[in-house]
Amino acid sequence: MSTNIDTSRSPLEATAFSKRIAAFIVIIYAAIAIIPMLLIVTTAFKSTTDAITYPPKILFKPSLEGVVNLSTQRTRQSKEYLKSLPPPRTWYEKIVRKRQMVIAGPSRFFQRFVNSLVIGFGSTFFSVFLGTLAAYAFSRFKIPLKDDLLFFILSTRMFPPIAAAVPIFLMYRKLGLNDTHLGMIVLYTVVNLSLSVWLLKGFIDEIPKEYEEAALVDGYSRLSAFFKIILPQAATGIAATAIFCLIFSWNEYAFAILLTFREAQTLPPFIPTIIGEGGLDWPAIATATSIFMLPVIVFTIILRKHLLRGITFGAVRK
Amino acid sequence: MSDRSIAWLFTLPTIILLIFINIYPLIWSVYLSFTNFKANRRGMEIKWVGTKWYEKILMSEDVWANMQVTAHFLFWTIFIQAILGLSLAIFLNRKFKGHELMTTVVVLPMMLSPAVVGVFWSYIYQPQAGIFNYIINFFIDFGEFTMIGDFVLAPWSIVIVDTWIWTPFVMLMCLAGLKSIPDYLYEAAEVDRASKWQQFIHITLPSVMPFLMLAVLFRGIENFKMFDMVNELTGGGPGSVTELASIHLKRAAFEKWRTGYSSAFAVILFVTVFGAGSIYVKFLNKLKEK
Repeated sequence: MSTNIDTSRSPLEATAFSKRIAAFIVIIYAAIAIIPMLLIVTTAFKSTTDAITYPPKILFKPSLEGVVNLSTQRTRQSKEYLKSLPPPRTWYEKIVRKRQMVIAGPSRFFQRFVNSLVIGFGSTFFSVFLGTLAAYAFSRFKIPLKDDLLFFILSTRMFPPIAAAVPIFLMYRKLGLNDTHLGMIVLYTVVNLSLSVWLLKGFIDEIPKEYEEAALVDGYSRLSAFFKIILPQAATGIAATAIFCLIFSWNEYAFAILLTFREAQTLPPFIPTIIGEGGLDWPAIATATSIFMLPVIVFTIILRKHLLRGITFGAVRK
Repeated sequence: MSDRSIAWLFTLPTIILLIFINIYPLIWSVYLSFTNFKANRRGMEIKWVGTKWYEKILMSEDVWANMQVTAHFLFWTIFIQAILGLSLAIFLNRKFKGHELMTTVVVLPMMLSPAVVGVFWSYIYQPQAGIFNYIINFFIDFGEFTMIGDFVLAPWSIVIVDTWIWTPFVMLMCLAGLKSIPDYLYEAAEVDRASKWQQFIHITLPSVMPFLMLAVLFRGIENFKMFDMVNELTGGGPGSVTELASIHLKRAAFEKWRTGYSSAFAVILFVTVFGAGSIYVKFLNKLKEK
């Protein structure tokens, strides 16, 4: 009997050769796609001069100028004045002094960072809380015009944010909510509600109704069945939804740039305004962007199984 | 509590919030679109101007130029992303060693803030220090050129960045489509001695198509609204060669403070997106039936 037929794999599996070609092409794409992200991280450790030299420096002496520039405000001083000062005490003062400057005070980065956290977590909490309740009702009860209501909820997400921003700006001005944390939390809560209702409805739909029915027979009320059976069962879905809402609020730019200026400004509109001498301060921007990206990258890795579901509002379940 | 009251208690807060923050402002902007209101002048008398703004917008050559810019952006981003995304998905689906890690790496740009990334791309595109020009010149020497300052190249600069951000999305959708194909279809095709190419045309493509179309619709709606990345990268310039609909709206509403005009423009955009959205939902239902 002939034994040279390869029986170690099914005819459906790709051959080793075609796998190798596929891997090669995907790796090339990934290598190109990752360049901008690597560049962000490396530029964060470049000195201001290294960041704008031609040709672009691949190898460079790492510098902490980026993080110092990001967290301080500096003024340029004359050599005589600098000589009259006592020698720099800390490592960051040394870096600033080398470029003939002194630290004038802390920058606004930290405050903007806190704004992003407060608005991100605040809006996430409310949209997931309200979304869970609504999703449960839509999943389990007969509600008049249910499909129309669900479509209405989804349609609010289709509006171009700029088009919605005009009347919201006017309304917020009347209510005194422009440039306030409360205003942004309410706004992001509403924008995220469509996502959280649709996603959570999908997750709750997947929980067998029999669980609750058994609990109801055992004498549970609807509410206690919801709290004791549904919520624990939907925990993964709720967590995934919360992360999606958080990433959205964290990344949101259009409303933030139009409705916040100082008090409640978040990082996305702030980062592009970090300027040094003679233009944008790239090492500082890169440092800010790296700090800003890090949590999103971690969350993406955690969520990788649910990514598509989140982005398509639950339309595609893998 | 009865089921009925729980249903109301659970859904009403969401619906009330949406009415307040979404529907009420929308109605308000429909009203403003028929007036001469300017948001930066307080206490001015609001006059009814009828359909003046709508006529102006639909007759304006500038607006049609914006629409062309938007159409160019939509067409090329969707076209390139569909091809790249589908090919990547097919390759990833061959399940080579490490394909899961590669999927995660490729997906990352999609999750980052487009505005923040947009700013950084203006550094990448810098004529002198930028790595983009450096790499291009490494292969073909064009000398010094600027992507975002050039009337011809600027529209392509935003297509490139959008492709970088969103190809992974199309890829993920196609991958979901590929994974939904049951093995027995290919097994039957093998038994019938269909070639790999025939299998691709008759099994793979038709099964992936609904997913690809859904991805295209998503990208279409999202890119029609595109604001953040382009606003930071080019700001609509040079001139207005990258002034997409949303950028035009922002300039009219928040720089020129033509509130009546911009409300009318917003309403027109609403209607357009809503129409596209209805098509999308119909499509979605068809997909579910399958």
